[in-house]
Amino acid sequence: MRSDLSVRNLVVNYGPVRALHGVSFDVPEGQVAALVGSNGAGKSTVLKSICGLLKPVEGEIRVGDELLQPRPGDPLRHGVALSPEGRRLFGQLSVEENLIMGSYAVRDKAARREMMDRVYGYFPRLKERRRQMAGSLSGGEQQMCAIGRALMALPRVLLLDEPSLGIAPIIVAELAVIIEEISRDMSMTVLLVEQNAQMALSIAATGVVLETGSVVLTGTGRELLESPEVRAAYLGT
Amino acid sequence: MSFLIAQSLINGVILGTLYLLMAIGFTLAFGVMRIVNFAHGEFYMIGAFCALIGVTWLGLPYPVTLALTIVFAILMGAVVERLVFRPFRNDELSGMIASLGLAMILQHGALILFGPDPQAFPAMVTGVFKWGALIVPKSRALALGIGIVILLIFYLFLMHTRHGRALRALVQDQEVAAVFGVRLEIMYPLGLGLGIALAAVAGGLMAPLFGVSPFIGATPLLKAFIVVILGGLGSIPGAALAAILLGLIESFTSSFISASAADIVTFALVIGVLLVRPAGLLGRAEA
Ligand SMILES: Nc1ncnc2c1ncn2[C@@H]1O[C@H](COP(=O)(O)OP(=O)(O)OP(=O)(O)O)[C@@H](O)[C@H]1O
Ligand SMILES: [Mg+2]
Repeated sequence: MRSDLSVRNLVVNYGPVRALHGVSFDVPEGQVAALVGSNGAGKSTVLKSICGLLKPVEGEIRVGDELLQPRPGDPLRHGVALSPEGRRLFGQLSVEENLIMGSYAVRDKAARREMMDRVYGYFPRLKERRRQMAGSLSGGEQQMCAIGRALMALPRVLLLDEPSLGIAPIIVAELAVIIEEISRDMSMTVLLVEQNAQMALSIAATGVVLETGSVVLTGTGRELLESPEVRAAYLGT
Repeated sequence: MSFLIAQSLINGVILGTLYLLMAIGFTLAFGVMRIVNFAHGEFYMIGAFCALIGVTWLGLPYPVTLALTIVFAILMGAVVERLVFRPFRNDELSGMIASLGLAMILQHGALILFGPDPQAFPAMVTGVFKWGALIVPKSRALALGIGIVILLIFYLFLMHTRHGRALRALVQDQEVAAVFGVRLEIMYPLGLGLGIALAAVAGGLMAPLFGVSPFIGATPLLKAFIVVILGGLGSIPGAALAAILLGLIESFTSSFISASAADIVTFALVIGVLLVRPAGLLGRAEA
């Protein structure tokens, strides 16, 4: 299978502290891949590096054959969009304005409108609340809006950082189904970062396990779900 | 009595409009770049001198002069962003000190060029509007009218255009805005330039009412500062609310008590609001 996003030997420091020690993995085209690991493993650091918010010390990141430059805006041009950890909506903008900001760099008006209809199709609650300030939404709705905003960039590769964070289990289950649908409907490559390994691995075709800045396991979602190491470390069984 | 109330109301709205013109740029500079711009009042002063030069030296019509003032101020804002503020982005303390330096340079530059004496500004319109006992000088009505139109245009820009929306998004979260393609190296000078243009046009509007000198920037800066603290640093709706509130309070206290009481009441109010709501009327807790 063709790899759509490939991370090679990524090394990232925060000041003197090394957060990633040469991380490499591939995300196959058009599927959901999970990146799991516990608190502080470096998952968000990987995503921030992919979208150009952090400058790696070493390593390269490619989308298809294109090498991404480590500054915000360049990965976007190559089709990378992020739903950041903690949602980080533009709280004083309306839900619809948040979505419009998602396609700030998209010139094609018709494509924008089509994606907005799709987003409202996946998340009808956003449509009901589209004139409301994003900051006044519930946690689950904010997460939907953050995913919707990322979709509005018409990405080839969608990065989701802990969509389950602080959200009721029933909504997490709902989100998992929709993330799967989004990837299937649009053959979109999705990299799903989660502490909730159960949720992520059950919808992912492939998975990567990160521990203190290094990849310790890779495999299909099912293999990882059933592997004793993952069960012991992340699923508490 | 009721005419006094109506009169105070109108004066309050005029003051509020002036304060809002001043406060928006100040709060925008902070919201977008995290810079407390103490030179903001000097751009009011420069706007007043631009208007004076346009009208008396060059003999241009007043509206043309104001339009040129706006263009000049936007360009000046872009240059100032590049030369003075860019090195101190997101460094609140150094940015503040740089802005104090800039304020001195601008004020003393004006002193060298124009001397310390106040200069008279020719009246743009004369006469008054009269409704019964209510009297509004046409010169004030003109300043109010143009001020409101400019605020309205700016509001539409901010709320309904791509760049306006991007500016508002930037105030909320720079990093995320950048991830979605908002280019900071364009938005910073734009935000600062527009804010400075509003201050300059306020100077041009008030020059016929209050005269022109190198020192006229201090009071509007102070008022902008109060408005912005009262409304919540970085919040534009908060600034709008606080500006009108401040204008009305000042005008009512000077009508019904005395002009010197106005400042006391104003600061008592600011302290009161900050005790109850430390982030200002519409401020975010973390800002
Ligand atoms: N801005 C920062 N400055 C310094 N160190 C940081 C910074 N951000 C993260 N780190 C450190 O880098 C390491 C990886 O952090 P990262 O946020 O990538 O973890 P994570 O896997 O996303 O964790 P979580 O599941 O809690 O979100 C941690 O040890 C963290 O303390
Ligand atoms: Mg994280």
